[in-house]
Amino acid sequence: MPGPYPGVVVRVHSESCLDTERDQANMESVRRMVSAGMKSLTGAGSDHDAWTRFIAPHDVVGIKVNCSGAPRICSAPEVVGAIVENLTAIGVPANQIYIYERFANQLQTVPYAKFVPPGVTIWAAEESRGTILGYDPHTYVECNFFGEEDTRSNLVRLVADKLTKIINVPNAKEHQAAGVTGCLKNIAYGDFSNVARSHQYEKTNTYSFIGTLASVEPVRSRVVLNIMDALRGVWHQGPFNRDPRFRFYPKQLLIGTDPVAIDHTELDLIEAKRKAEGAVSLWDRSRSHLGDNRDPNMNHFIREPGHIEYASRLGLGIYDSSKIHLREIEL
Amino acid sequence: MLLVAAALPLLFWDAGPSTAPALRDAHIERIAVPAAQEAAWKGVAGIVVQAADVGRLRKLAVPSVEYRPDQASASRAPWIQSNGWEFVRAPGAHFYYDAPGKAAGLAAAEAFSYGADALIHTDAAGLQYFAEMLAFLRGIERLDLPPLVDIAFQDDGGDTAGEVLNLMLRNNLLVRAAAAPDPKAKLNVRLGSAQFPLETAQDPAAMAHLVRSALGDDHRSIRIYGTQVVLARVTAGGGRLRLALLNYDGARRKVDGLHVRALGRFPKHTGAVAGGAAQIDDYSLDDQATEFTLPELKTFAVIDLSR
Repeated sequence: MPGPYPGVVVRVHSESCLDTERDQANMESVRRMVSAGMKSLTGAGSDHDAWTRFIAPHDVVGIKVNCSGAPRICSAPEVVGAIVENLTAIGVPANQIYIYERFANQLQTVPYAKFVPPGVTIWAAEESRGTILGYDPHTYVECNFFGEEDTRSNLVRLVADKLTKIINVPNAKEHQAAGVTGCLKNIAYGDFSNVARSHQYEKTNTYSFIGTLASVEPVRSRVVLNIMDALRGVWHQGPFNRDPRFRFYPKQLLIGTDPVAIDHTELDLIEAKRKAEGAVSLWDRSRSHLGDNRDPNMNHFIREPGHIEYASRLGLGIYDSSKIHLREIEL
Repeated sequence: MLLVAAALPLLFWDAGPSTAPALRDAHIERIAVPAAQEAAWKGVAGIVVQAADVGRLRKLAVPSVEYRPDQASASRAPWIQSNGWEFVRAPGAHFYYDAPGKAAGLAAAEAFSYGADALIHTDAAGLQYFAEMLAFLRGIERLDLPPLVDIAFQDDGGDTAGEVLNLMLRNNLLVRAAAAPDPKAKLNVRLGSAQFPLETAQDPAAMAHLVRSALGDDHRSIRIYGTQVVLARVTAGGGRLRLALLNYDGARRKVDGLHVRALGRFPKHTGAVAGGAAQIDDYSLDDQATEFTLPELKTFAVIDLSR
């Protein structure tokens, strides 16, 4: 990260990609969105050429999904299925593809297996919640936020030991502590243990921790592609989605290699939605807005959307709007 | 210097001799009984009996973890009911647990870890757990090693000092109660000093954190990662280091993996895990420390490291 296309974000919108009444994605429409986005990003004339810019048949590929709002809001199995189709089409054997997430109890609520061929592994770092056995004891970030005794956040073993490439598939969601959760947070808090400690209290440490984790090797060099699933989105009470009032349907994918540029685009998307709903800005830091977040003007934390700009200062991508090249595709 | 003799705890049994078969089935060969029952138990085959007046003993808490998520607190850390501070404060005292059910096993392990002279009373349900732990403890090699100490705490015997001592031990700080400063300790702590003011000690958790900060995590002889409910009792000497690891939530659930960092390079290790396999993973040494993962801890484990 930021990969070969810093500052480039391809936004593919398709009105037909999602039946919002039935909450059902259209597989064929999603396929076309992925294809158009990948070709636009790379300038390639075919899907094969586009995907082989990033992945080779010998790679062991991890698809980092996000299931924290599952089953309603998650990396849609249709999007993941379309990605796996492209991987197998360029010659990556199914048994070299891993769909992974930290928590098994969330991952198991999403029917990924129905959308991918036999042989693809669906893997969680924590089969039982809290276990450290799915993490590499030798790769960690150590810091003490609030006097917690366990000061280490360890990297997922699968990433440390096995994967050669990672495709990051986050969702477009507001996050009560981080402001939004997108590419950076999905790859950071989704690849390391013991991260909830950064947001135990109203004032959190998400501002610097997200970018710090995302910049750790081998995470940084193995994430070669970000495909943000914004078919569905959450504009309040994220990253979960317990209240349907706060769900919305952007019906788009954001594709690129630069997680900062994509997350800035996502931030603008969710901020605009909040504004349209009459909710306070994601940038609001007033303590008077701390409280019961059933009211969209209230929140449990002081949000830190500045974590995206902070990550840019670690070299993870382009934050400056004037330098972000947003390519819009309408299907 | 006090050596930890690792005495085996003794069952305090207040039921009558008619329960002797249950004790024999559990392979319990020695018990303490109320003085009023001593005569009745004399002559019962296979069981050695001694009288005890538990009213004269220091009563301990039931080792456990209390979760109170519905109550306001200054910390999200689970509340561990540990008796380590009692043993450290009064190492020569005589103690008594009333530990029903599964807690009887953990009580036995806790007393063993600190080399404490303790009687453990339990109920019929706890007999099995006590007996299983006793059998496990009998198989542990006796090592008369002194406690490993990072912090000498000048204990005035008061309630505030007691709670600070408790919270330091609950945070896996290796501390001993001292009457005077100890030049060999990495850190000396006296409540009321400029560095450790009494006002801060009114919040014992804050004082424990202050002590931890003053020592510095890099200088701590032991760190435990991956769990909030496991406390370590550490003894060391002669190139050996023994970790007694207690899962205070063991009556409820096992810990699926914990990681240990011990200062010092110890190329060799052996382990014994109560109720499980003595498996140690990810064993590694760096310039300053030894690290390893214990993949499962039900209630109690003893890990010996050596050069």
